[in-house]
Amino acid sequence: MLLQLTISGLSQGAIYALVALSLTVVYRSTTIVNFGHGDFVMAGAFVSYVLTVMLGVAFLPAAVLAVIAMFLLGLCFSRGLIRPIRGGPHIGYALMCIAVGYVLRGIARIVWGREVLPMPSVFDMPPVFIGNLVITGDAMFIIGTTTVLLAIFFAILALTDIGKMVQAVYQSQRGAQLIGINVDRFNDMAWGVGAAMGAMGGILIAPVSLLHPDLGASFLIKGFAAMTLGGFGSLHGAVIGALLLGVSEQYAGAYINSALIDITAYLIIVFVLLVRPHGLFGHKTVVKV
Amino acid sequence: MPDILMTIRDLHVAYGKKPILRGAGFDLYKGECLTLLGANGSGKSTSLNAICGFVQPASGSVSLGDQELAGLAPHRIFQHGVAQVSQKRDLFPDLTVTDNLRLGAMRRGAKQAARTLDQVYARFPRLAERRRQATRTLSGGEQQMVAIGRALMSQPTLLLLDEPSGGLSPEFCEEIALLMDGLKADGVTMLMVEQNLKLAFRAADRFIVLRDGLVVDGGDVKAMEGDHDAIIKNIYL
Repeated sequence: MLLQLTISGLSQGAIYALVALSLTVVYRSTTIVNFGHGDFVMAGAFVSYVLTVMLGVAFLPAAVLAVIAMFLLGLCFSRGLIRPIRGGPHIGYALMCIAVGYVLRGIARIVWGREVLPMPSVFDMPPVFIGNLVITGDAMFIIGTTTVLLAIFFAILALTDIGKMVQAVYQSQRGAQLIGINVDRFNDMAWGVGAAMGAMGGILIAPVSLLHPDLGASFLIKGFAAMTLGGFGSLHGAVIGALLLGVSEQYAGAYINSALIDITAYLIIVFVLLVRPHGLFGHKTVVKV
Repeated sequence: MPDILMTIRDLHVAYGKKPILRGAGFDLYKGECLTLLGANGSGKSTSLNAICGFVQPASGSVSLGDQELAGLAPHRIFQHGVAQVSQKRDLFPDLTVTDNLRLGAMRRGAKQAARTLDQVYARFPRLAERRRQATRTLSGGEQQMVAIGRALMSQPTLLLLDEPSGGLSPEFCEEIALLMDGLKADGVTMLMVEQNLKLAFRAADRFIVLRDGLVVDGGDVKAMEGDHDAIIKNIYL
């Protein structure tokens, strides 16, 4: 049973990992926490729903188009709404993110109401039986796809010149400007990549759950919990935190009380902030006096 | 008279309502090392930051040949060949020495960058020994070498140095002076802000004294040899 729960937790955690990582990508480059990110995840899922269910596009090209659309939305959001308020109070960014998130949610409600929409299953893979352990096709697809996406992301970051440039901006924006990097444009790209990666999470979860305009809210909290557990700003911490969160939810739900699944993320946030505020991989802030 | 590389005229910069530069102006000649002197708050670092685009001048002109730089973003000014070694160095602490240096030549071809990297390592053998180390693990002097090396990787037309001796030991200041001699011999034009007057007079060809955001004195360092006390009085009194 433990192994079965672990597989389920990893499958769920893989989606959280994409959400937490995409939040971190934006946070590391701009220090802005995107409180509207859950709605970007939802929007990605709905764009793929429109393309596959309403327009009859095959899942894979629909997913690619949805990711590109969300990348452009993130880019435009940064260029049109974040850049103009730069230099103002930091809470302005948070309010802007929340406002745009609610606008996206509102658009979805206007079009589809509060109904839940079933997305046809696209992962037509038979389950694998290993003794008593059952690994569903959905779980294999989600874990497999996320593993490939994360491997590509971290390989680009560690091994390519673009990745070094990204790390440079993360470590010193002024230093990056000193070597000729257009940091404003970089930040626009970070918003685009963040929105696109969040959309990937939404697209992966859409076929295995029901779609509704409020689905982003829970993903936002899971993303925050994963970031808190992994350490704010740590890219690999966000992924590991997300996987631990997914597994913890399953264990807590099975061994303690199924109602705990819904509040595990909140409990983790409270516990980590009290016991280890910098999380598993975050840097402890040292103030010289 | 050597050719003029950069002309700065009537430069006004303010932080909020507080004016820092109030019409500063000077010329910079090709191949020389000019040092800006002045008491704290006189506008030395602000001058460098205005040239680099980190602060936007309210008015005035910064011309590099025919190109007007005032008002451009830092990355655009860098593209015109102006590189700065900032006071805080602004390195990428978790990246290796080689990565830090290579990033300085990001806009140049891989072959050219590799050649310049070899030249930088030849100039700083100590960095070559530590090429795979993260820069946060280096001493202050070595980090300063990386900062200077990174700026040199772009083969700048003009190198700005903001307090290159800041926080370094006297032995290392001498190393910086020797390095600057080498750069001058290679024809690199330098504009330096330096509180360490010994280094400033040792390395620079000319000096300019800023007071309250205006140029109040200037001249040839060699011509003033033996009379540095007069310059110091002019700066602080």
